[in-house]
Amino acid sequence: MNPVLYWIDRLSALASGPAVWGVFLTGAIIYLIAEWRIRLLAFLAQYFFVGILFTRLFSERPEMALLKTLVGWLVCGALYLSARIRQDAQGRQAAFSWAADIPFRAVALAMLTIVAYLASQRYALPFVTGELALTCFLLVALAVLFIGTEQDVVVVGVGILNLLAALDIFYSTQDPGLLVTGLLIIVSLLVALAISYLAVVEVVE
Amino acid sequence: MILPGPLVIIALPLAMAVVLQLLRHWTMLMAGLGAATLVLIGGLVLLAPLDAVWQVSNFTVEFGRPLVILGRQLVLQPFDQLAIAFLFFTTGGLFIVAWRLLPHSNFFPVGLVIVTLLATALLVEQVVYAALLVEMAAILTVFPLHEPSSVASKRGGAPGALGGMRYMVYVTLALPGLMITQLFLDLFAIFPNDQTLLNTAAVLLSISFAILFGAFPFQSWLSRVALDGSPPMVTFIFTVNFGAVWFMLLDYLRTYPWLAEQVPLAQLFLWLGLLMMVLGGILAAAQQQLGRLVGYATLVDNGAMLLALGTQQVEGTALAMLLLIARPFSLALMTLGLQGLRRLGDGADTHRLLRGVAWRAPWRAFAFLIGGISLAGFPISLSFDARWGLYRLLAQEEFTWALLALLGSAGVMFGLVRSLRVLLKRSPTVKRPVGEPLVEDRIVLLLLVVLILATLFLGFFPQRVSHLVYQMASWYTIF
Repeated sequence: MNPVLYWIDRLSALASGPAVWGVFLTGAIIYLIAEWRIRLLAFLAQYFFVGILFTRLFSERPEMALLKTLVGWLVCGALYLSARIRQDAQGRQAAFSWAADIPFRAVALAMLTIVAYLASQRYALPFVTGELALTCFLLVALAVLFIGTEQDVVVVGVGILNLLAALDIFYSTQDPGLLVTGLLIIVSLLVALAISYLAVVEVVE
Repeated sequence: MILPGPLVIIALPLAMAVVLQLLRHWTMLMAGLGAATLVLIGGLVLLAPLDAVWQVSNFTVEFGRPLVILGRQLVLQPFDQLAIAFLFFTTGGLFIVAWRLLPHSNFFPVGLVIVTLLATALLVEQVVYAALLVEMAAILTVFPLHEPSSVASKRGGAPGALGGMRYMVYVTLALPGLMITQLFLDLFAIFPNDQTLLNTAAVLLSISFAILFGAFPFQSWLSRVALDGSPPMVTFIFTVNFGAVWFMLLDYLRTYPWLAEQVPLAQLFLWLGLLMMVLGGILAAAQQQLGRLVGYATLVDNGAMLLALGTQQVEGTALAMLLLIARPFSLALMTLGLQGLRRLGDGADTHRLLRGVAWRAPWRAFAFLIGGISLAGFPISLSFDARWGLYRLLAQEEFTWALLALLGSAGVMFGLVRSLRVLLKRSPTVKRPVGEPLVEDRIVLLLLVVLILATLFLGFFPQRVSHLVYQMASWYTIF
């Protein structure tokens, strides 16, 4: 085995456990804190953790994992630009604040995290390792929270992207072919573009 | 140089989309070129014999020759010809409608890209790629749907991007199911004794298509899109995008024929269709907003299509196709009428604000009425012939089903009559209605008249299209 690949494999094996909970933690930050800069930073970090988990999938081709991370950061860049335009148009000052209904959110987050954890223990996804299965379930749980309980276009969009990331992890274990991976990347980029567009259109209107 | 047919079908509209993007300033030119391209390719797809070779200058076009991309085949099959032609002709017609309604719109270039993606989804052999391409097309639809210059209405406090957002969310929710279904079905082909794989695949497939068709409880995006979108966009989503989803479902069932044999899918479609019709009818009857009425009428129509498929007969599939062909006419009329009425209601379409406006915009009110009657499946329209055939088919099996389906249609008609009463209501204090009449664009008026005449003509002479739909249905012997 190529020594670089060997060390990447060793490091990702060590980091993948914390990365799973990193994905959850960043998702929790996005859900519980209202300040958009912190949310986008958390989303940026979430893509980093997802990238680490992708190195477990593409152990022979770590450049694919790098590509996924870079695409994620590109998505964050697009969202940052539209969130910035929106803030300027609304003339609001950025300040730290917790999201509204924080007790409800905390309870909902805790409940869905438990559901995701138990589901990963109870239902084995075919050909998917335990850590990756837990990541898939956690990302789906976060997507459900973002889509189901948020009104902000950007956060709902993050939910869609989380769902796509979960699908990407699951599907890549079954079929690590280039075409599906490429098409899923295009879908993620299009979703990011559409969310950015909608976030700006809301203000223009 | 030999060109495979799929390459022509994909490359020509994409190239024209780039040209149209450069011509955004000239709406008439954009609409004309876009429509001409679509009609030309649609005509070629429909008429070109798949085994023939066409010589154009130095190029030899073989429509039956597959296009291979990274080992995946795109091939024009006989059953795809009519489906792709339907998508292209409908979009071409909508470009003409959009010419006066959406000046400088990105609907023309983006619409070409969307319809190309949908056609590619039908051409590709593996359904997983079809699902991804339909998802991409749905995401792109958001851009013309929420174009700032053409947003249909700005209602107090409601977020303007909600329709597109919901549409994107629901289509994305359907994507994992569609992709994983194929995976499980392929696994089942290897492990035929594992019934769990098949059952899971059937459940995922059903949920995914229920989401895509806006079945209960996933119907909220339908009414929201109908509220937010301009007439050509709403018609485009409810006919072209829905049409592609419909043909994708038929492709799934044709690709995996044993799925329908081993799982009671027909029963599932039947009950889901009935539920959609009954619930859609109730919701339509209760509506106080005309846009929502359009959304729920479409839900009832979708239910009727699924119900027709659930009858497990070629006639049923043909009737579903007939409903699909009738839909662009009814919806275009309804949404065009609605657009004019909204202009008189300051962008809103509630009963309270539209009281008596039929006297100020008689053509728009008439268009809304004719389109509504057609979408509800009442005489005289092409949908009526399809619905009547459906009730007869259902009555042969179980009379209650036919009655429930009829009640769903009656619900839409009831909602329409309620709306019409409001539109025609005169103010009690004055003899003449208050307000200036709507200043009509003559070309839009001409379009309305043409659409009304086409709807009535097809209603009187349905046999013109019936042989076409039977031909389409005969390719899909599913059950």
